[in-house]
Amino acid sequence: MDVDGLHEKARQIRATCVKMAHHAKEGHLSSALSPVDPLVALFYSWLRLYPKEPRHPERDRFILSKGHGCSALYAIMADLGFFPVELLRDYGREGSPLASHPCAHALPALEASSGSLGIGLGLATGMLYGLRLKGSAARAVVLLGDGECNEGSVWEAAMFAAAQRLEKLLAVVDYNGIQAVGRSDELMGGASLEEKFRAFGWAARTVDGSDIGAFLAALKPFPFEEGKPSAVIVRTRLGVSFMEGDVLWHYRVPSDDDLRRSLEELAARPLGWEA
Amino acid sequence: MRRAFVEALTDLARKDPAVVFLTGDLGFQVFDDFKARFGPRYINVGIAEAELACAGAGLAREGFRPFVYSIASFMTGRAYELLRIAVAYPRLPVVVVGAGGGYCYSTTGVTHHSPDDVGLMSLLPGMTVTVPGDPTEVRALLPQLAALPGPSYIRIGKFGEPSYESPAPVTLGRARLLRRGEKVAILSFGEMASVALEAAKSLEAEGMRPWVHQFHTLKPIDTGALEEISAEAHTLVIVEETSPMGGLHRAVTERLCGSARRPTLIRLGPPDELALGSPRRETLRRRWGFDAEATAQACRRAWKAV
Repeated sequence: MDVDGLHEKARQIRATCVKMAHHAKEGHLSSALSPVDPLVALFYSWLRLYPKEPRHPERDRFILSKGHGCSALYAIMADLGFFPVELLRDYGREGSPLASHPCAHALPALEASSGSLGIGLGLATGMLYGLRLKGSAARAVVLLGDGECNEGSVWEAAMFAAAQRLEKLLAVVDYNGIQAVGRSDELMGGASLEEKFRAFGWAARTVDGSDIGAFLAALKPFPFEEGKPSAVIVRTRLGVSFMEGDVLWHYRVPSDDDLRRSLEELAARPLGWEA
Repeated sequence: MRRAFVEALTDLARKDPAVVFLTGDLGFQVFDDFKARFGPRYINVGIAEAELACAGAGLAREGFRPFVYSIASFMTGRAYELLRIAVAYPRLPVVVVGAGGGYCYSTTGVTHHSPDDVGLMSLLPGMTVTVPGDPTEVRALLPQLAALPGPSYIRIGKFGEPSYESPAPVTLGRARLLRRGEKVAILSFGEMASVALEAAKSLEAEGMRPWVHQFHTLKPIDTGALEEISAEAHTLVIVEETSPMGGLHRAVTERLCGSARRPTLIRLGPPDELALGSPRRETLRRRWGFDAEATAQACRRAWKAV
C-alpha cells in the first residue's frame, strides 16, 4: 500500500473507532484515535504477520501495551482478516471476544492481554530473549502511551533491553501529550522521552506521526543502531479536528452528533457497518 | 534448602533445554556453576522485580520454562501486580521462587520479612503454592512444579536446614504423614515441619503421641488428607510461619467450616503485627508462641482436655 493509501486507511480506521465507541458506549476514544497513524503504518506495511495463522513462529510479535486504545487494534486486525469485520459491532459487549481491554483468552490472536500499564515492554523483552535462544529472526514491537511511560516498570524493561542488546525490539511511543487527567509534559517534568530512552542505552528518534511516510522512513534502517533496541517517539494527533488536544475524549462517549461530524470530516465509512 | 534448589534446578535444566533461570540480582556465587553450564539460560535482570516477572512471562509465552528468583518479600510483594497480570492472567508456566521466606531474614529487618508471600500468591487464580520443609522436599517438588501447565510459587529457606527422615512420598498437592499418633494432630506448614517433629519427640517421652502431618502444598490444599485427619484427631494444632490471613490455618478453616466433622483448631503462628526490633528467628518463634516448646505445650493441653 502506498502512503496515500495508508492515509486513507487511517481515516477509515478512525471512522471505525468513533463508530465503535458510539455503538458500544465506550470511552477511551482519544486513546484509540491517537495511535492510528503509526498502527496503520506498522500493520499494513512493516510487520510480518500471518492473519490466517496468528501463531506462526516467525511472525513479528506486536503488543498493544496501552490496552485502553484497543478499538483501533481491533479494527485493523479485522480489516487484515484476523477475524470477521462484523465482530467489531460486538466490541465491549458482555462476552464479546473484543473486550474493552484486550483479553487474549477472549481473542487468542492477540499476543498478550493488556490494560494494566507498563507491562508490554517487559513482556516483549522476555519474548525476544526467548526468540534469540531459539534462533528466530522475528522482531517485537510494543506500542506504549506517553502517559504509560510514567510507570517505573517501563524503565526496568528499557534497562534490561539495552543490557541484553535486544536489537530486534522496537518501542513506539504514542506521544499524544494527554493523559487521563493531566498533560504528559507536566507530569513527566517536560524532559524528552527520546533523551530518556537514549540515556537508557537505546537508539531513539522523534517523528511527526501525522506523516505516515515520514514515520516509515524513520524506521529505516532497523535496528536504528546495531546492538541497540530502537524507540520511536511519535507526535500523534487524534485526527478529528473538534476532539484535538482535549482530555475530555479520554472519557467521553461520542453522541449521535459527534459521530455524524466525525464521519463527515473523515470522509470514510466505518468497517463492519458497510451493509 | 538453597543448595538443594540449585542442584534440582541444574538437574532440570540438563534434562530440559526449555528451562531458564532469571534472578533479580541475587544468589551471590550460588548459581556460578549453573551459569557456567548453561550460559544464556542464566539471566540476571538486575534489581528489577517488575522486569523479572515480565521477562519471565515473555519467555514462558515463547515456550520456555522460566524460574524467576528473588528474596521472597521482593519477589511477591514488590512484583505482585506484574505476576498478577503478566503471569497469572495468561496462566503461564512460570515457577516463582521466593528465597528466605517467612522470617528467615528476621534480624535483617521488616523490609526482608515475608509472612505474606504465600498469602499473596494464594490469591492469584490458578497459582500453585508450596513451602517445602526440608531439602528433600525442595528436590522432590521442583520437577513437579516445572511440569505444571500453569504458574506456581515455591518459598525456600536458606542454607543448611536439616533433612528429616520419612518414607512418605513427596507429592505435589498431598500432605505427608511424618508420624502416626492418636487424639491430637500437628499440622505443620512448610519449614515448621522440623519444629513439629521436635515437639512430637519431646511429647513421646511423656507418653503422648500426636500425629504429625506436613503440608508442603498450600494450594491446592489436600482436602482428602484433611478429612482423614479430622476423623483421627479431635484437635488439630496448626503451626505456620505466615500471616494469619494467608497460611495453612486460613486454608484449613476455609475447608473445614463447611464440613460435618469439626475438630478443635489451634493456630500457632505470627500475629498480624510487625516484627520490630531485629529479633532472631528463634526469639520471634518463642515470643509469638510457635516454637517447638509452644507446640508441645498446645498438644499437652489438648491431649488432657479430652
